[in-house]
Amino acid sequence: MVVSLLLGLPAAVGLWLVSGGRAMPVRAARPLAAVTAAATLVLAILTVTGADEVDRAWLPELGVRWSFGVDGISVPLVLLTAAVGVVVTLHAWVELPAGGSPATFLGSLLVVEAGALATFTARDAVLFLVAFELVLVPMWVLVGRYGAPHPARARTEAALRFVLYTAVGSTVLLLGILLLVASAGTADLRELAGGAGAALDGGTQLAVALLLVVGLAVKVPVFPFHTWLPPAHTTAPTAGSVLLAAVLLKMGTYGLVRLPVATVPEGTATLAPALAVAGAVGIVWGGLVCLVERDLKRLVAYSSVAHMGFVVLALASGSETGLQAALFANVAHGVVSALLFVLVGGLKQRWGDVDLAVPRPALRETSPRLGFVLVLGLAASLGLPGLAGFWGEVLAIYSAWAPAADRPRVVLLACAVVAALGAALAAAYCLRVAGIVWAGDRPDRDAPRTPDTHGVEQVLLGVLSLGVVVLGVAPMLLLSTTADAVARIGGGP
Amino acid sequence: MTPSLVTVDWLVLAPALAPVAGVVLVLLGDAVLPRRFGGAAVALAALALVAGAVAAVWLPRAAGGAVSTLCLPAPDGACLWTAGARASTLQAGVLLAGAAALALLHEGRPRPRDGAVAATLLLAACTGGVTVAAATDLGTWLVALELATVPAVALVALRGTRASAHGGLSLLVTSLASFGLLVLGAALWLTATGDATFSRTGAAAAWADPDRQVVLVLAVTLLVAGLGFKLSAVPFHAWTPQAYAGADLGTTAFLAAASKLSAVAALLVVLAALTDLPGGPGPLAVVVGVPAVLSLLLGTLVALRQDDPVRLLAWSTIAQAGWVLVPLTAFSDAGLRAAAAYVLVYAAASLVALAVLGRTGARTLEDHRGLLRRDPLAGGTLTLALLVLAGLPPGVVGLVVKIVALAPVVEAGVVPVAVAAVLAVVVGIAVYLRWVAVLLSRQVTPSTLEEPSTARRPATLVVLVVGTGLLVVASALPAGLLAAAT
Repeated sequence: MVVSLLLGLPAAVGLWLVSGGRAMPVRAARPLAAVTAAATLVLAILTVTGADEVDRAWLPELGVRWSFGVDGISVPLVLLTAAVGVVVTLHAWVELPAGGSPATFLGSLLVVEAGALATFTARDAVLFLVAFELVLVPMWVLVGRYGAPHPARARTEAALRFVLYTAVGSTVLLLGILLLVASAGTADLRELAGGAGAALDGGTQLAVALLLVVGLAVKVPVFPFHTWLPPAHTTAPTAGSVLLAAVLLKMGTYGLVRLPVATVPEGTATLAPALAVAGAVGIVWGGLVCLVERDLKRLVAYSSVAHMGFVVLALASGSETGLQAALFANVAHGVVSALLFVLVGGLKQRWGDVDLAVPRPALRETSPRLGFVLVLGLAASLGLPGLAGFWGEVLAIYSAWAPAADRPRVVLLACAVVAALGAALAAAYCLRVAGIVWAGDRPDRDAPRTPDTHGVEQVLLGVLSLGVVVLGVAPMLLLSTTADAVARIGGGP
Repeated sequence: MTPSLVTVDWLVLAPALAPVAGVVLVLLGDAVLPRRFGGAAVALAALALVAGAVAAVWLPRAAGGAVSTLCLPAPDGACLWTAGARASTLQAGVLLAGAAALALLHEGRPRPRDGAVAATLLLAACTGGVTVAAATDLGTWLVALELATVPAVALVALRGTRASAHGGLSLLVTSLASFGLLVLGAALWLTATGDATFSRTGAAAAWADPDRQVVLVLAVTLLVAGLGFKLSAVPFHAWTPQAYAGADLGTTAFLAAASKLSAVAALLVVLAALTDLPGGPGPLAVVVGVPAVLSLLLGTLVALRQDDPVRLLAWSTIAQAGWVLVPLTAFSDAGLRAAAAYVLVYAAASLVALAVLGRTGARTLEDHRGLLRRDPLAGGTLTLALLVLAGLPPGVVGLVVKIVALAPVVEAGVVPVAVAAVLAVVVGIAVYLRWVAVLLSRQVTPSTLEEPSTARRPATLVVLVVGTGLLVVASALPAGLLAAAT
């Protein structure tokens, strides 16, 4: 019951805001969206604490059930999504992009949130895909209509590229799911993970795993399928970027854990070396691009590619530590990237652009609070101990160093070394950004001062910063939540 | 008194008899009040169609299963009219789509010169479509199929313009060619099975004998080709864009929805005899798979380049015909159900899109710029219809039927069709989102479009609202649609 409300509330309010309530004035729409998001967060907490579930027939002809519920793997992501929902709706007080009615903008945010929550709670493989598709159109609207005003053509192209890439991923994923469901005879993710999938013969497992991994790799995105992400991030409004990084990318990695890793372990093991190499290349590729990228928003986007590389590498290791690392890095990246995108979006609003080549006064002098948050976010991004980013990266490299027995050790060792190099690159580009923006390596004395953060923005940045620190100081909060479910999926020693 | 050859249950025939009664009444009225009966004729025809649809939905429910009549005396006892849940749903679909086409036709620009004639033709075509869905013998099937097609030719040509004459001519030539193929196919079917009905036992016997199997495959090839014309499947699609663009919107709506439903109903009658063949469908999968793949690819790719909304819908019809054929390549009961569900959803979405075109009078995509802001009802319903056609939530039902269509293909392992379907999904999304982007756009180009006036087009509005309502309900409860298509 509670879980139905959890999904139904943001979906209903969101759909109403984009259809019947399009003309709603901003002073009514904004509180409505924020209250909805806050109520959704409360419902998420209730769902998680009460382990609420719903299960009834949906498409009996296909054996698909309307089955939603939470377990250790989905709990952190449900909470993260609901919290990010509150962040993005509150952020509407900071920045309300032009491009259409505010109600449509806020409604699209809520529909994306509802789709993400449905994806994380779906316990049926086909339902998972349908929920996944729900976020496509509203996200397309957010990027294509509410994105950076010019150039208009680039905006349209970025939005279309996002939809088409993701649609390719979805359709390949759909084929994989259908093949899995047809061969195993059930669409229930719990049964599939509980042995129905593992009982398939090797060839089928490999085919299923290949389709699932390729489909989800586009959505994560994993190198070399990442090319849709930077333009989408660069174009999207701040709230859209936050949702994209903190929620949509998580749906891809969550899918990798839920579908190929949990259901067809043998097939996934065969593909693991390729996945590990793709992850390692992504880490280095993202880091190298970040070293030279001038647009700060695009830079954060490429750093996401690198962080997703760590997640994929950890998943490829096949060990329990690897799964834990992937899930932790997933959530950590959600919080850190939300922080960075809120911050960079705020800077873009103040400066008009976020070109690093333009000389500006040092952030630490003109706006110390913004400067502090920037340093904190960058430090977490480069994996400084004591902050959220650290545990995911360290555990990922460790798990690749000590992979499960059935994985090719040499390949994963090499990937671990490459990933460690990538972590060093991350330090380099984060220090570069800190040097330019925070310390003001190229100051311009005549430029106007950057106004410091205050009001809603300050609260949002403060809460996100707190999350970064808490996850870094007390990682067991999260790791203990996921431990049981990870142990059930199994993996190696 | 001699015992009659067949037993007739008139009530079971009601879905077909209702439009026939409509024809008689319209013709009578027109004879009594010549020239002044047009408006009443349309109302009468619509009433007949809706009554037939109600009967089609109600009959199998009341009987608790398939209803049959026109049964031959025992011991053979074959029934020439058998309508199960799927056939009845398709019948209701044909009749409602016919009513919708009639509404658009009646409120089209220019209005049909003679409402009674148009109504009669439409009713006749719907009678054919209803009958073919329940026909089990070759004779009834062929005659009903022609009855469903020939009036459409007259409808296209009736407008009297040069373009419509061209469209009518190409449709006529196409129909004749397809009829030739169908007759030949039916003859070969009879040769192969020795049975003048589409029965599973006859087909199974023919399939088991290698010599007769070749003839059966040839028969199915010809039948699929003949129906491919009516279904607008590549390579039999060439008439479609011309006829769509040349005819008025009401006729286009008839061709796009009612006519497609009839063609699919006819195809399902044939293929239902061929499900679960021992040793797999083999060459039959190729016979259906080749037009499916070609339609998917060519239809979506060409639709991407269209700027006239009617032509875009014409090419999208071709692509969607490919989607209807996709699940049929599996030759399973699940495939038949998927094809029926798919064509029903496609028909509803197309009718909504065409009703919006009737309401706005747009001739290019650009005419719709900012429609969502100018006319939220038309813009919103068109957005939903296009998302259903693209298979993207919130048009959930569009996605569900695509999943249902792909499931039997994946299960049967027809890889080329699955690969083509992936490409078609992606390019198709680009096709429909291109139009949706125009609808959502902020700028409104000053245009000569008429302002929406519901007062002058109440019937179009009804089509819009009912069609959207069906899509919304099916999106919320897709299980109902699938059960009706089983």
